[in-house]
Amino acid sequence: MSPVFLLTLRQLSGKWRVVIMTTLAALPVFFTAMSVRAIDAPSVSEFEIIVLSTMLAGSIAPLIIVAIASVAFANEIEERTLANLTLSPIPRWQIVLPKLAASVVVAGPFIVGSAVLTSFLAFNHDALAIFAVATGILVGLLMYASVFVWLGLVTKQAIGVGLLYIVLWEGFFSGFVSGIRFFSIRHYSIALMHGLDPRRFAESQPVGLPTTIAVSVAVVVLFLVLSTRRLRNMDVP
Amino acid sequence: MSGRPEPVIRVDHVSRWFGSVVAVSDVTFDILPGITGLLGPNGAGKTTLLRMMTGLAGVSDGSVTMFGEPVRDNPSLYGRMGVMSEHETVYSFMKGREFVRMMGRLRGVVDLDAATEKAIDLVDLPHAAHLPMGTYSRGMRQRMRLAATLVHDPEVLILDEPLNGADPRQRVHFQSLLQKLAEGGRTIVISSHILEEVEQVAETVLLIVNGKLAASGGFRSIRAALDKRPYHVRIISDDPRALASAVVRLPSVDAVNVDPDGAIIVLSNNVRDLQVELPKLAQASSISLRRVEPLDDSLESVFGYLVEG
Repeated sequence: MSPVFLLTLRQLSGKWRVVIMTTLAALPVFFTAMSVRAIDAPSVSEFEIIVLSTMLAGSIAPLIIVAIASVAFANEIEERTLANLTLSPIPRWQIVLPKLAASVVVAGPFIVGSAVLTSFLAFNHDALAIFAVATGILVGLLMYASVFVWLGLVTKQAIGVGLLYIVLWEGFFSGFVSGIRFFSIRHYSIALMHGLDPRRFAESQPVGLPTTIAVSVAVVVLFLVLSTRRLRNMDVP
Repeated sequence: MSGRPEPVIRVDHVSRWFGSVVAVSDVTFDILPGITGLLGPNGAGKTTLLRMMTGLAGVSDGSVTMFGEPVRDNPSLYGRMGVMSEHETVYSFMKGREFVRMMGRLRGVVDLDAATEKAIDLVDLPHAAHLPMGTYSRGMRQRMRLAATLVHDPEVLILDEPLNGADPRQRVHFQSLLQKLAEGGRTIVISSHILEEVEQVAETVLLIVNGKLAASGGFRSIRAALDKRPYHVRIISDDPRALASAVVRLPSVDAVNVDPDGAIIVLSNNVRDLQVELPKLAQASSISLRRVEPLDDSLESVFGYLVEG
């Protein structure tokens, strides 16, 4: 296993991060558990918009991953330990990819676990619905992670910029300006849920499954390439 | 055909600027196997230069090559070099042995266990290798970082202020280790603000002042090149007052002071001429010279001249 991957796992697995991730991941589960018992429980489409789209795909998943992926490189830059890695005789992508993988491995169980439990409670143990929601969230997580890993390489304020992106772009503009949703990770996360289980977000008219898969792969590859290029060209402190 | 060996590192008209600030300006030199000291005052551009020599930073102009290849964005070259930066931060959660082992793995070491133990032995730190580096003293951290730099037995070592935090015993150990490595044919570049350390180990020095290469070569050859600059010589004789009044008339002498302890301090503008004239003058004046010693022959004073100049 890549030493960069193992190193990053240890760097990102601090106690406080685990506490924050657990707390955030528990919110949709708690909200869903309360909702399904309530007399005025939301309809399926309301639940999908409020919990799956806005809360899980648009807030919790990016908030958790921004706290993990954006520091995968940013901590090394701040601590001035990145030279340990960049002065190794390995291609730069073999540094970027393990950093991304470790970010997903650390954050993934919390986010995907939250998605599985939330959909398990909401959709009466419907296996296809659970699979669709979990897969949509996982792919969204991958896209967010690739963006935030790159962000950690280009700015010292990666978490701040990432939070602005989550609140303004994913949370506000993509919800109100129709054209922008095609540039929103949350949109493709939802589209994948719909593609795998057409009952989900049936009224939202998301893009088709092939387009969703193509865009998801393109986003991850694009930001991996950008991160690799950045690592090759930057001045390493 | 020239008998001069091919340089291991070639820095060719290298400049680096950050906005309007010029950190390194048109610096050219070659580095051959052996120990080369890189000296200069704080902010002179030493670290920027070292970072460009290792490929960690790009050049604004010029080129840096190692073994004839560009160092920037050339990972295949990095297995042949060991770099210890000036930053002392370590992965505090990692044990010393884990750190050295990880660096060995990253650098493609085959017999990882043996290489790790050998590197830790070299820096004389096996007793602490099982402890997290967060518990280390500053000197221990530096030594374990040096072990990680040496674990893949690199041909080129670039060390930026490696002795920060080391105690005198460790310094001696380090100097002898460097000399042993250099005798094995390695190329070592060491930067230090403790000039005596460099003077003791480096065969060649590069003096960087205000981002420019102020001088390069052997320490004494640099000093000889500076002979035309003012030069202090301390002379002890059996008649300091007579000697002072005689020596002040020499064309190679600018000023003379008599110390309370009886020695005279001569400020010479041409030390080579003074070397010839002084014995003749003493003989002609029947003055016995007991001791003649240059006060400026330390690296510190050469350095001071260049900085002030």
